[in-house]
Amino acid sequence: MNDKNILKELEDIVGKDFASNSSGDLYIYSQDPGASIPRPADFVVMPNTSKEVQDIMKLANREKVPIVPMGGGLTLSGLVIPVKGGIVMDMKRMNKIIEVNELSRFALVEAGVTSGQLLAYLNENHPKLQPPIPDAPPSVTIAGNALIHGSGYLSQKFGDHGAMINGLEVVLPDGGLYKLGSCAVSDYWFTRGPIPDFIGLFTSSFGTLGIVTKLSIKLFPKPKMRDIVFGLCKDPNILPELISNITFTDVAEDILLGIQDKPDWMKGYTFIIVYITGESEEELNNKTKILKKMYRKAKSRYMKVPKRIEDIFLEKPQFAAKAADFRKGGGFEYVGAFIPLQLIPEIIQIGIDISLKHGIVPTLGARLIGQGHSAMFFISYSFNRADPEDMKNAREALHDTDKAVLEIGGIPWKAEIVGQQLILEKMDPNYKKLLKSIKNLLDPNGIMNPGNWEVK
Amino acid sequence: MTLKVEQDWKDIVHRCFRCGYCKFTYDYSDFNCPSYKKFRFETYSTGGRLWLIYGLITGEISWSQDVANVLYACPTCGNCSENCRFDKFNDLLVDIIEAARAEAVEKGFCPERQKALIERTDNPEMYNPYGEQNSDNEDLKKEYDLPDKAEWVYYIGCTSNYRQKNLRDATLRFLKKANIDFTLIDEHCCCSPVMRTGQINSVKDFINFNITKINNAGASKVITSCAGCYRTLKKDWLKYGADYNFQIYHTVELVKELLDDGKLKFQSEYNKTVTYHDPCHLGRHMGIYEVPREVYKQIPGIKLVEMKRNRENAWCCGAGGGVKIGYPEWSVEISKERLEEANTTGASVISSVCPFCRTNLSDANDKFDMNFEVIDLIEIIDKLDFEITNTKH
Repeated sequence: MNDKNILKELEDIVGKDFASNSSGDLYIYSQDPGASIPRPADFVVMPNTSKEVQDIMKLANREKVPIVPMGGGLTLSGLVIPVKGGIVMDMKRMNKIIEVNELSRFALVEAGVTSGQLLAYLNENHPKLQPPIPDAPPSVTIAGNALIHGSGYLSQKFGDHGAMINGLEVVLPDGGLYKLGSCAVSDYWFTRGPIPDFIGLFTSSFGTLGIVTKLSIKLFPKPKMRDIVFGLCKDPNILPELISNITFTDVAEDILLGIQDKPDWMKGYTFIIVYITGESEEELNNKTKILKKMYRKAKSRYMKVPKRIEDIFLEKPQFAAKAADFRKGGGFEYVGAFIPLQLIPEIIQIGIDISLKHGIVPTLGARLIGQGHSAMFFISYSFNRADPEDMKNAREALHDTDKAVLEIGGIPWKAEIVGQQLILEKMDPNYKKLLKSIKNLLDPNGIMNPGNWEVK
Repeated sequence: MTLKVEQDWKDIVHRCFRCGYCKFTYDYSDFNCPSYKKFRFETYSTGGRLWLIYGLITGEISWSQDVANVLYACPTCGNCSENCRFDKFNDLLVDIIEAARAEAVEKGFCPERQKALIERTDNPEMYNPYGEQNSDNEDLKKEYDLPDKAEWVYYIGCTSNYRQKNLRDATLRFLKKANIDFTLIDEHCCCSPVMRTGQINSVKDFINFNITKINNAGASKVITSCAGCYRTLKKDWLKYGADYNFQIYHTVELVKELLDDGKLKFQSEYNKTVTYHDPCHLGRHMGIYEVPREVYKQIPGIKLVEMKRNRENAWCCGAGGGVKIGYPEWSVEISKERLEEANTTGASVISSVCPFCRTNLSDANDKFDMNFEVIDLIEIIDKLDFEITNTKH
């Protein structure tokens, strides 16, 4: 079938206004804000219903046209760049918040609901609840974030956002619609089990197995008050134990680390940012006292910061994208490595060394995940989008970082294709075999986001 | 920071990260970019447009009518500038889009409908974007017994003079009743519509013509009842290198001043529930949000209620940026959304201080049978009895 006929069929499915192969649309959907090299898309389509997703999937499978699902498109690691061309499916028209269950604390949302939308909706209609949202702009989708094993608010206390998925509705390449989790048995999308858990297949698989159309995500009680207690640490070697000790006290809703060489006064320190919550000022004061004492004991110190700095960290979501303009260049990308806590000192040194080697000001940080079970440690490289050499340099820094992270025992998160290949190289052969078998079973024609997680 | 069309925008545009804040309201509860909300492809967000523009600059993408249409499908309402978090360049976003439109015109890709704006404005019989015979305003001067020279010039603006004559006449009556020493000039278009659509070749001639006329009238102050003219005279004319010594007022600023000075006292009531629509050109583009509200609140009997999206967060009426002429159906759909929002406030009246907003809101009101009274603030004041003391302002 030629391109004209495919476009016509897509238009028949979603309506003329929401299928396109115009040069402008293809240009935009051929790239993302990270450092990856753009690849040309052939079509862009925006479905409005699960049925439309099924019909598009059947068309793509029949014609063996690659299909790439896209949420907010802000992973920065090129996961929605159509590496082998084909159809980019922008999910953002599927933006209904279908249900919020206050008692069992979950929200059932369509795949295009943004983090900003859910946050605002809960603030207005269910003010006692808060959603897990990433340190990303409000235009990212709840589904996209959870499906890449995202982390962000509440990750310290409750785990990564992928772990907060209660259920999924997924369209597989055969066009079938599948419900996963309790919703396969019950009307309530309240839990993953207790049945064989297939939800994990669709997290961090980057759209290579199917397209998620609905997702149930856990919600959490929103405490009345929230504050931040900053700590300052000179010796990275004390961080693992200090952080672990903080998690033992159960005072921290979230814990962040920040390490950067600019501005100059920040150089040489690790900033520990602990979010505390409570029902009263007294409770916050008590938690602050506990943290101050712990900082002192660990040869670190409590740091009073101006309100404007506090406000930056208390904003939901945080404006992390400001890193894009550090060098007036419009771009940054990072390796976010999942690591065990004991690797923190080592990865800090790796990040600083690689940044300096590539002439980039070190900008590093971390988010604790799951009460000390792991950390997502990021090493960020800003670049100038107007300078192809600078972008190449950033890609090389990312590649070096991926390799170094894997060598010490960490795993790059939402890795770009090159990083995925490095992970696959190190992966247990039987895991790879299993991955390939499952992929071949669900997607025999290899249409789902090809190029990603490609087991050779 | 002022954008220099000739150079700076090409050095800035790549700095957009396409994070998407530009699409939203402050609290992220809704998309507030009319273009993105309508078309939904990322291409139609301001970030998408900036990336397209960057692609055009680098040659990664070629000019085509499709690409130009994306650049033009935007009412340049300024929600993006308001919500973009990159404060080193967020106030330049609309300027960049307009600069790119100027480039589209140069390359021959101005959409056909928008071309009519410059064809009519440049026409020596017209000098206005509505295609009407130019009015030198001499008849009005006679009707209102206005001098040739005065302290103030009332710059009527094309929309008020050719489409919203009631608003114009209400303004004229107010200025007379307020004993303002004012006159009219043979004004030509302020050039807002052609600037917004990148058709800028003769803009400087129009600016010079109008400035000369204002100076010849001996005026030290210019007042307009149009938010678009206000923005253009006060901001854009300077951007195009104009040099003038007169002050620019919007009518609402004069009303507020008279009220504050105790020179204007309302003596009758307007017993209606009114919601105020912030014109983009007065609000986001010029930062004036409270002045109109303070005037409404001083009108006896009025109950002023706010729409959910107000002030910096206001939803655009959809008329600006060449959208009214380029996309007439979409344009009134945007206004329809505004009226639906107004409907939730319990107001029976939606009021603004811009003839272009008034036109588009009225068009939507009629087309969709919304049953609002759409009226400009100065028209409300025109219905009231008021006393002016300390004559001669």
